[in-house]
Amino acid sequence: MSHDDFKQMIPVRALSALDADDDRSLTEHLSSCAECRRDLDEWQETAAGLSLSANPMEPSPGVRDQILRRVRETKTDVTTANVLPFAQTKRNVWSSFGSLGAIAAAILFVGLLVYLVLLWKENQAIRTELSSLRAQVQKSQTELEEKNRMVRMLEQPGMKFMELKGMPIAPQAIAKFAYDSSGHAMIMTKGLPAAPVGKQYQLWFIVPGKAPMPGKSFSTDNEGKAVMEEQMPAEAMNSAVIAITLEKQGGVTKPEGAMYLSSRS
Amino acid sequence: MRPEQVQITDVELLKAIARQDETALAELYDRYRLILFGLLVRILNSREEAEDVLQEVFLQVWRRAADFDENRGRPFTWLVTLARSRGIDRLRNLAARERVAIAGSREPAEETSDAVADAVRSEQRGLVTLALEQLPDEQRRPLMLAYFDGLTQSEIAAKLNAPLGTIKTRMRSGLSKLRELLGEQSASFGF
Repeated sequence: MSHDDFKQMIPVRALSALDADDDRSLTEHLSSCAECRRDLDEWQETAAGLSLSANPMEPSPGVRDQILRRVRETKTDVTTANVLPFAQTKRNVWSSFGSLGAIAAAILFVGLLVYLVLLWKENQAIRTELSSLRAQVQKSQTELEEKNRMVRMLEQPGMKFMELKGMPIAPQAIAKFAYDSSGHAMIMTKGLPAAPVGKQYQLWFIVPGKAPMPGKSFSTDNEGKAVMEEQMPAEAMNSAVIAITLEKQGGVTKPEGAMYLSSRS
Repeated sequence: MRPEQVQITDVELLKAIARQDETALAELYDRYRLILFGLLVRILNSREEAEDVLQEVFLQVWRRAADFDENRGRPFTWLVTLARSRGIDRLRNLAARERVAIAGSREPAEETSDAVADAVRSEQRGLVTLALEQLPDEQRRPLMLAYFDGLTQSEIAAKLNAPLGTIKTRMRSGLSKLRELLGEQSASFGF
């Protein structure tokens, strides 16, 4: 394979979409071709731009703490592994100090250390509080953005609106479903119970005489809230019942779990 | 009164992380969590999986920050590439049935993805969305299937029922066109 053949592969490598054989050949070539390595770096810059077409989303506030906790554990492990114990030697403490001045200096030093520790603790507490407040602000901003998006959608002419009511399994749950003439839809839920581990809620479009059509799977926050955009199947535009069931994580193609919300009154 | 804070660059943050500064890691997380989590949810279609992978990504950043070379690209690209790679690895590890269900449920959203304004990088997002809209569907679809679904060229050809050679050409042309459309503004992605 020629240098030019490899150059043709580089944009696709930036998307990690080369088939295995091509990928292996190019990897070998890259190890000896600085020009192609530079090309790959440049194409990766372009490919990374595609990430911006995904909607930004807020992870749960606990994720940040979890990462920092695991990082501290790593640091502790490293520190513990590298620390050598001091050799303990018995000695007369007073003989270590030659004069009263040295004793006074030692007391001052200890006092300073205590003061520094207190300052450090105070600083840590402020940092923790600041971090928590920042997470709250970010959560509120995300919620506000989601509500604004819903409002903007509802303001568009020709919008249709449905309300989903909780089934006996979740009577407190409620959802609002809005969609436009192109089938672009948005759903907001509230009050859904926390999904067990390995489970997620899933949206369904049910048209009489047809198999239920699956929509996206989603998870809720700790108040049972979720906001999600979806494209309605064309067959579901006029007479579909919108429902939400609890299914295996990642979703299923036929409903298997219990129904939690339905637009059928 | 507190002194006004000076904004630390992403490169400086990565250097501090390489020195095991966890406050720098926290700052980097605060700057990128929305973008990276949105990307991972788009790939995995699951908040739980995405949160798990997001943790792995930042632990990897913690361990590998010293590998970042600012002469080879921007921190944004390094982070996004790392996150996407982890996300695609996780996606490929999922069971085939689950994957089919995920891909099936995600496709319509790709087709109708709109440029909803949001508080995060709205200008850059708008630019990318606009550029993608200008690509012909036959070029955009293979790019999206590769980037978000982690499909190889052969898998894309089979999925779209098109010859492999055609798909190769469309992907190269699509990405080239995207680069051209983003043009000089792509430099302003610099986060």
